[in-house]
Amino acid sequence: MTDSTHTTLATPRPAADRAAAVRDFLTAQSTLLLGVLAVLAIIFTILEPKFLSVPTASNILTDWGSVVLIAVGQTFVIISGGIDLSVGAVIGLSGVVAAWTMANVLDLEQTVKGPDAWFGLFIGTLVSVGVGLLVGLINAFLINILKIVPFIATLSTMGAALGLSVVISEGAPIGSANDFALISAISPQSNPLSPALILVILVVTVLGLYLHKSKFGLYTYAIGSNAFAARAAGINVARHLTWVYALSGALAGLAGMYVYIRLGAGSPSSGTGRELDAIAAVVIGGVSLMGGVGRMLGVIIGALILFTVQSGLIMIGVEPDWKKVVVAVLIAAAVAAQVLQKKDGR
Amino acid sequence: MGAEVIYEVRDASKSYGSVKALSGASLKLHAGEVIGLVGDNGAGKSTLVKVLSGAHQPSEGTILLDGEERTWGSPREALEAGIETLYQDSGLAPHLTVSQNLFLGREQMMPGILGKLGFLARKRMEVQGHDDLERVGIAVPASNRPVSALSGGQRQAVAIGRAVSWARKVIILDEPTNHLGARQAGEVLNVIRAAKAKGLGVIFISHTLPHVLEVTDRIVVLRLGRIVRDAPTSQFTPDSLIAAITGSADAEPGPTSAE
Repeated sequence: MTDSTHTTLATPRPAADRAAAVRDFLTAQSTLLLGVLAVLAIIFTILEPKFLSVPTASNILTDWGSVVLIAVGQTFVIISGGIDLSVGAVIGLSGVVAAWTMANVLDLEQTVKGPDAWFGLFIGTLVSVGVGLLVGLINAFLINILKIVPFIATLSTMGAALGLSVVISEGAPIGSANDFALISAISPQSNPLSPALILVILVVTVLGLYLHKSKFGLYTYAIGSNAFAARAAGINVARHLTWVYALSGALAGLAGMYVYIRLGAGSPSSGTGRELDAIAAVVIGGVSLMGGVGRMLGVIIGALILFTVQSGLIMIGVEPDWKKVVVAVLIAAAVAAQVLQKKDGR
Repeated sequence: MGAEVIYEVRDASKSYGSVKALSGASLKLHAGEVIGLVGDNGAGKSTLVKVLSGAHQPSEGTILLDGEERTWGSPREALEAGIETLYQDSGLAPHLTVSQNLFLGREQMMPGILGKLGFLARKRMEVQGHDDLERVGIAVPASNRPVSALSGGQRQAVAIGRAVSWARKVIILDEPTNHLGARQAGEVLNVIRAAKAKGLGVIFISHTLPHVLEVTDRIVVLRLGRIVRDAPTSQFTPDSLIAAITGSADAEPGPTSAE
């Protein structure tokens, strides 16, 4: 009976699958992005031969480290169909709170060395991630319970976090730990492949695998693709989104600690505007702001492209003040490219 | 047919404020039977569907599954009890692949520690998804392709295939042939026949009366919140069905039972 009612929607073509896989790889977003990155590096090297150097690469990687963490969180959020504008402000707030805790609660001296310093940084990291997590949960509350759209919800927490970090720090950076021995040892500033950067790469890799291989990742795509279908399939959409915003917040907290380690101080303004960098990395990486689409590898390379352009322009003599303009132009260009690509595809 | 009653509502009523959307509706569905649910807009079809699928609870009346009285707190509870509903246009997640859509909400995990950590058995689901669809009579090019790459008819077939392959007892299809061409609609009707052959009870809601007359065993006509006819499909002609729906057949005696 089943066989006799068999319908033929299309003929299966298993043989063509392998060729298709090769073609997919060559036309994949990440392959194209790597090409763009290579072309950019070549252009900047031609314009300024000093561009191709270890210090430049180290600078780019260091900047990349702070932004890729929030870009990864942003990737989950945007694929789920939302946006998180609070991440930049959370970097500042979590860095300030962590620095304040280390200085006032733990009573750590700036010159402290050995196990005390490690313990201090460990607690600082917990505090920093905890602050981010809390802001993420507040975002989720505003979005799920009060039904505020993510743009406005996270815009308010961005303002609140920014204000709070100024209140706590009284407007000035907490601690100037240039001689905080451990910080200089693990800081990306002193060593291109610093422990801090390696930790970032580890976190990013694990979360990339998680996005593409796990149930959590799948549900993130499903909700961004069609929230109604996700709900009909029995997915608890509100609970899932809570985890997504909590993840984004926690990663911003971790980025706050990264920036603290890098600067040797918790500064309220240290993350200002970083949310734009993260969104730029995400859209350059091919993640659709409409949700449901995007690959983590693209975002990782997108962040590299972002900082390659920024540091390349500075090296060929463009005023650093133009940086934000460049980021804005890159966002617009990347989204325009996505729209064109989509039109082509249809 | 002679199969046992698998799903039943008795005297179900549903009011929204002062509006009575459904009054005293009783319906019996047998295993391996296809019921057509027809009626004009506002006749109470979608209210009855919501009661049957667990989306709404009736204000009065009882629901029996396999002869046992049940109340559904949510569609999820009905789903877990074996009642699948394919809502009009609820559709699929277009960016996910065919197999991801087929298994959405019921994923298979990798064995061992990786599965515990939340990692999916993607290959296994792709193979099994393909087989599941074939079993209900649907051949899809590749279950690892995104649904957005499929035609409208293929998508609908996947959505129905998903519901049929998961359903254990009852499947409710709300306007599944809407927006489809003649050939694609024919494929959907074939899937309904496959579901029937599988021994499922099928409730088929449609405005397209030729489809209803073609595939159903029994037709239930709703008008103004009441069931006004419930008779074997063979007793209807296209004209008498329209008459029953619009109410111009009030004079007709017509028994209100299938057996």
